[in-house]
Formats: sequence, structure tokens, C-alpha cells
Amino acid sequence: MLLRLFSRVFLGLCAIMVALPIVVVSGAALNSGRTMFFPPREPTLARFGEFFITEPVWTQALANSIVIAFCSAFLAVLLAWPVAFGLWANNSRASRLLAGLGSMPFALPPIVFGVGLGFLWAFAGGLGTLWAAILSHAALFLALPLVTISIGLQSIDRAHLDAAATMGATRAVTFRTVVLPQTIPYTISGFFFALVLSFNEFIVTFFVSASAYSTVTLQIFNSLRNGYTPTMAVAAITFIVVSVVVFSAVARWGDLPRLMGAEPSKT
Amino acid sequence: MSDVTQASVVPRRQQSAAAGPAVPARDHGRILRQLLWGVILVLCVAPFMLVFVISLGHKIEGASWELGFSFENYRRVFVGANWPEEITYLYLQKLYYSLYYALIAAVLAVVTAFPFTYLLTGLSRRAQAAWLVFLLSSLSLSEVFIVMGWDVLLSNRSGLPMVFKETGLTQWLKDVGWFGQLREWGLANPRNIKFKTSVLATVLTMAYLVWPYAVILLYPPLSRLDRTLTEAARTMGAGPWTVMRSVVLPSLRLPIFGSVLLLFVFLLGVYVAVTVFAEPAKQTMAVSVYEAVRGNTLNAPFGAAQAVVLLITAALFLVAGQWLSRRGS
Repeated sequence: MLLRLFSRVFLGLCAIMVALPIVVVSGAALNSGRTMFFPPREPTLARFGEFFITEPVWTQALANSIVIAFCSAFLAVLLAWPVAFGLWANNSRASRLLAGLGSMPFALPPIVFGVGLGFLWAFAGGLGTLWAAILSHAALFLALPLVTISIGLQSIDRAHLDAAATMGATRAVTFRTVVLPQTIPYTISGFFFALVLSFNEFIVTFFVSASAYSTVTLQIFNSLRNGYTPTMAVAAITFIVVSVVVFSAVARWGDLPRLMGAEPSKT
Repeated sequence: MSDVTQASVVPRRQQSAAAGPAVPARDHGRILRQLLWGVILVLCVAPFMLVFVISLGHKIEGASWELGFSFENYRRVFVGANWPEEITYLYLQKLYYSLYYALIAAVLAVVTAFPFTYLLTGLSRRAQAAWLVFLLSSLSLSEVFIVMGWDVLLSNRSGLPMVFKETGLTQWLKDVGWFGQLREWGLANPRNIKFKTSVLATVLTMAYLVWPYAVILLYPPLSRLDRTLTEAARTMGAGPWTVMRSVVLPSLRLPIFGSVLLLFVFLLGVYVAVTVFAEPAKQTMAVSVYEAVRGNTLNAPFGAAQAVVLLITAALFLVAGQWLSRRGS
């Protein structure tokens, strides 16, 4: 009994610790003045209006963030699918190498990849353009849909494939009727993982944007140096809400514990 | 079982290749494969190659650079620009701080995340999913926000130092005489305790940054841990701590070690937390890379050389970890 109480308390403490800075940032958004205080003084919602509607600096940054996140996540999934499929269907040395190379940017310190991308786009003439940022994020987060789609493909029962084959289905038909439907939840999860991480990414965007445009994280970093404004905190709240909604969706329609590597559920 | 299915898959593929109008399809496949290789080589591999190539070049006055082939930049990283007349270890010191912060923060994160994850995997599937949503949300939260949150919490005017002062804790510390000790550690100014700038704040924020990662890395092995083993140990009369020490920890030695290693490598590249929380004299190589490439000093080849050193350090640790884990298993 004592042990159970202890574990409850410990879990609770962890939750508080994880939530603490988030709560502080969110609370600071309600300040009416120009400086951050916690607890907020004269709480108001005016900062939300500034962030979403009136201040062009923030609205433009938000628009850029959204465009980069959606396009790069889509592109990452598009690239990851054939790589993951090749890995699953052939498992040859070449397909393993390709998957390894594709996961490299995510595994190594992002600042090095950021510096390299800065050089690459300087050569290719894409420095400071949105499409360069989109391609960069697609490369950086390719590993995420690659992993989720691979998990999805592995969870397909080989017996279904054999059944389809014995009933005379061609590979294309099998792909459409067996493989694709069973992996769609995992594909969507991969898309959302890439989306949310791209939305929050800072260092690579920083090197690739070359100060030609800004995203929300870049804008926050700039304001971090010039002193805080509560408007930044609104951005933080927005991001947290987006993350919670997205991951709740993944948990609701996909098997989140399984995606994170737990045993398949027995239900 | 798996051998049988493999065997049945292979002939089917050969069959379809031989029978149907497979030639154009195979052509498409080849073009797609080549395209895929091209895209991945350009986007994922070329940036690293470029960093290496440019690190061999040198700076031209006026914030530009040209290609070359000299190891001058590396010499500057390891022994200073004026070697052999004088040796300075300025940049090696930055590398040392990179390793130092990353190691402490990674160990701290795993040590606290382990019992948490152990308890988490004992919960119902529903509760686990809820916790994972919460953790993933905090995990995906940008470094910038996390630093911002901790900055508000630890700053001298609004955060914990104010709490210490208002509650009289500062006065109590002074009365007991521990205040002097805190000042020696750099955690206090003459009037109140302070966390900015300090090693403690840096390491704490970095540990916080990777804590959800630690949970997610430990989650698969812990949730696959054979609970019958622990239950058997319990029925044989072992207490919970004995079970933890003699059953759980030994069987999870490798995942724990692997998690520390991965988090450590990830933390080598942390930038925002270090610029905000570390003292100017104790900044890391990641910050120095930024300074050279985008910041004040503008010497891209030198920045690239430092990035390569950082990359090789990271790669060495990953390879050493692989080797150790293969030997261990």
C-alpha cells in the first residue's frame, strides 16, 4: 500500500515538473503589460488578438510555420513510403543503407545538419526561400514516418498476403486491398509526428532562413534576445494546444502505445 | 514459420516478373529507385559532405570564404591559431563543456525517467496512452519555449529566487550559514540566491529537454519486460527493492546504457539553452559553431571545422556504444 502511494506521488511529481514551465509560459500570456510576470498582472486576452490578427510580424510568422510544417511533413511521408516499403519487401543491403542514410539527419546533432544545409542552399540558390526550408525539414524528419510506416508494415499478418496471393491477386491488388488499408493509421501518425516537430523546429530553420523570413520559433528566439513580450507566450500556448490535439488524435485513431514500442494490445 | 512465408513470397515475385508485361513496370521501378536515392543523397548526405569540404577551406576578408585544402582550421580547434609559438586550448575547452553538460544532463534524465517509466508501464493501457500524449506534447515543444519557461522560472526578478526571498528561505539560508557555500558554487549573489547564469540551470534545462525522450526510449524495453519474472521473485519473498535491483535493472542494463548514450549525443548539439543559461566562459562548441557561421566572427570554414569535430565526437560515441552493446549481449 505504501508502495502504491509512493508511486502515485512520484508520478504526480513528474507530471508537475513536466508541466511547470509550460504553465508558467501560458500564464504569462495573460499579462496586459509589456513585460512577463508570473502570476500575470491585470489578466487580459488582448495578446491573443495581437498574435492571431493584428500584428503582421506574428501572423506572417505563423503562416510561414504552417506552410513549412504541412508541406515538409507531406514530403517526408512521400519519401518515407517507398524507402520503408523497400525495406519491408526486399530487406536488401541497399534498402537498409538507404533507410540508414535517410535517418542520419535526425540521429546526429541538428546544428551540424543545419550548417550543412545552409551551405547546400547557398550553392543551390535556395537560401532564404520557403521551399528550401520545406525540403530541409522533410529531410530532417524523414526518419519519423519511416519508423512509423515500418512498424505498420511489420504488423501486417503475412497470412493475409498469402491468402491474397492464393486467391490470385496481383501484387498491385494486394498492395491496394491489404497493405495500404492496414498501414494508413501508421502513415497518418508519421505525418503528424513530422508536422508537430517541424512546427517546433528551431535550429535548422535558423540556418536555412538566413533571416529572409521568420517562423514562429525564429520570431520567439529574436524576441528572446530583445526581452520578452507576453505575445510570445500566446505563441507557446498555440503550439502546446496543437501538439496535444494532434497526439490525442493519434492516440484516438491509432495505437499510440504500440507506436511507441509496447507489445501489441491483446484486445 | 517466418522461413515458410519467406519461401512462398519469393517464387510469387519471380512468377509475376516472368509472366506479366513486367518490363515497363520494372523500368518505372528503377527510375523511382534512382530518384529516391538521388533525393536522399542530396538532402540527407550532401549537407554533411559540404560541411566537411568547406572545413578544409579558408576565410577571405569581408565575410566570405573559398575552397581549399588545408587542415589549418582543425589546428586552430585543437591547439590554437598561433601554434607552435603558443598553444591555446580555448576550443577544446568548449568541446569539454559540450561533453560535460551533455553527460550530466543525460544521466540525470535517465536516472529520473527510469522509475517513472517503470511505474508508467504498470498502468492501464488507457492511462498509458494519456500519459504518452502528455509527454509527446512536451517533447515536441520547441527548445525555444522550454528555455523561455525555465528562464521565467529561474530569472532573478520573477521566478524561484523571488519565491526564496519572499518566503524568508533566503534569510534562513543566511542564518544557517549555507548561503556562503551557495555563493561559492555560484548559485547566489550577495543579496539573494540566483540561478542565471549557472551550470545548475544549464544542466537542469537540458535534462528537462530530453526527459520525455528518455521515457520514450525506455518505454519499449520496460513494457516488454516479462512481468512473470518480477512476480516470481515477489512470490519467492523478495521485496520490491530487491526485485528492482536483482531482476529489473540487470535485464535492462543495455537499454539504460543505450538511452544515456543517445540523449548524450543529442545534447551535444543543444544551442538555445546554453546561450541563455551558461556563463560566457563556459559556453559549448555548438554555440561557437553558430558564432562562426552566422554570428559575430563570421568564419564559415572555421565553423564548419568545429561542426566536423562535434560530428566526429558524436559518431565516435555512437560507434563505441554499438561496440560495447554487442560485446555486452
